[in-house]
Amino acid sequence: MTNAYNQGASAHAGRPTGTRASHAKQVTAQLSTTLPDLDIDSIPQPTGTPVITFDHVTKVYPAQPGKPALNDISVQVFAGEFVFLVGHSGSGKSTFIRTIIREIKPSDGHIYIADEDLATMRNWRVPYLRRNIGCVFQDFKLLPNKTVFENVAFALEVIGKSRHVIKTQVPEVLRLVGLQDKLNKRPDQLSGGEQQRVSIARAIVNRPPLLICDEPTGNLDPQTSRGIMDLLERINRTGTTVLVATHDREMVDNMRRRVIALDKGHLTRDQDRGVYGFDV
Amino acid sequence: MSSFAYFFTESIKGFARNFSTALGSIITIFLSLLIIGVFLIGGFVVDNVVKSVESKVSITVYVADDASQSDIQSLEGYIKGLDGVSNVSFTTKDQALENFKNSMTSNPEIVNQLDGQNPLPASIDVELSDAQQVEGIASNIGSNSTFQKICDNPSNPSDSLKYGQKTVEKLFALTNYVRYIGAALVVLLIFIAFVFINNTIRLSILARRKEIAIMRLVGASNHFIRGPFLMEGALHAIIGAGLAIICLQLLRMFAIPKVQSALQWLPIDVTDQAFLMMYLVLALAGLIIGLLGSALAMRRYLKV
Repeated sequence: MTNAYNQGASAHAGRPTGTRASHAKQVTAQLSTTLPDLDIDSIPQPTGTPVITFDHVTKVYPAQPGKPALNDISVQVFAGEFVFLVGHSGSGKSTFIRTIIREIKPSDGHIYIADEDLATMRNWRVPYLRRNIGCVFQDFKLLPNKTVFENVAFALEVIGKSRHVIKTQVPEVLRLVGLQDKLNKRPDQLSGGEQQRVSIARAIVNRPPLLICDEPTGNLDPQTSRGIMDLLERINRTGTTVLVATHDREMVDNMRRRVIALDKGHLTRDQDRGVYGFDV
Repeated sequence: MSSFAYFFTESIKGFARNFSTALGSIITIFLSLLIIGVFLIGGFVVDNVVKSVESKVSITVYVADDASQSDIQSLEGYIKGLDGVSNVSFTTKDQALENFKNSMTSNPEIVNQLDGQNPLPASIDVELSDAQQVEGIASNIGSNSTFQKICDNPSNPSDSLKYGQKTVEKLFALTNYVRYIGAALVVLLIFIAFVFINNTIRLSILARRKEIAIMRLVGASNHFIRGPFLMEGALHAIIGAGLAIICLQLLRMFAIPKVQSALQWLPIDVTDQAFLMMYLVLALAGLIIGLLGSALAMRRYLKV
């Protein structure tokens, strides 16, 4: 598995620092011919700081002792990156994400979020970790009896933000996701795409440096999914590191961002400007 | 302070959400504390009774049937001269029988079985001004030679010397049993209230599990997640305790005077201070039950 890690590390060497979006467009045409070659360009090494570091992480669930959900994963995600985490169902994507927010602890190895080791982190510190990580899920996780505004405000309320902060930040973030006209609607009055925008708004309202999305477009049609991905890209451009677990092939292939592929718990590919890659 | 207000509004919402179970736990606490309070009042009354019995302690000296009048008079005179004795009177055999008959009016057969005989001895009744000295005075009388001569049972003179200390001891033994039973009942009631609060808070947690999941996700601190439930448990307990205290106060104002006038021999005059103390204890007990019950429910059902 050291091989996979080296592969990942070598991929980092080829990552650009800034103006990636425009650059990406430039090289897209060129890329499609060179796929699945890894060393696709030779832009100098990034100076970004690692936001997520997996150091030989293994997670074995007690229910399946012989089949680790994550098997010796070593990977780094740097500040400002937009990373796709791809893989089939059961490949370990969700476990990967749940270990980052320390919902579960790895059986072996260390995870560092911005230099803090999650293995030695005290339980009472975990909420403060999560305040710095926005989370978006396939099933939105909105409260049905609260309005859009209240759902987003809830995230600020429960971490003890003042009413003033709530009154200014919530409308602002809802404008960012394009729901400024639906403040008083309840989730069941919104479309799926709109609900996912609310959940994204809730995830970023506290301006976390890291946004994690677990299948954010899993329940949405391609058109709506594109809108969500555009939104995530815009959030990424403000400096937020974005990690998206998905098996939306079209999305990954179109956006040409860094792709980390998991298969049965193994890290099989870490590729800049990658494609979905399975079953090609 | 703002989070305190948040806990409060949230706990009120939780209250409204499971109104029937909340009401159930409030009523359980209310009844438990009420019964505990009644027991406490009973305890006060029993204490008073014991004290009043103690103050009415007397010594009875049984005299043999064949004792001469002069010996009896000299013994009476001796006893009268003792320190701590307030009054001495003589009960003849006939009077003793009369008293016995009066006390046995509900069982006339026992009196009939006497067949006109009178097995009761005459006695000298000694009233004391100080109950604490009963032991000393009794032993003093016991060592008196006249007493030893004329006592009802010469082979064992102390047997002819009955004094209230033994009655008080018996009373104490009885009241102790009552106390143990009361304490066991109180523990049981507290346990029931505890289980009820625990259950109510568990339901409240289940009703809000989606919210809790989101709170954990966005990084609400643990005390912020737990706060509303603790507050809810405490609120149930305080309302229950408040009701119990109101009820006890009503009892005190309306029921106790009636009981007192009906049973005049029973000294029920419990002081204001004792009542105040009791109310404080009940409120505190309720609060502890509420907080502990909900804390335990959270430990089991709210892993944060």
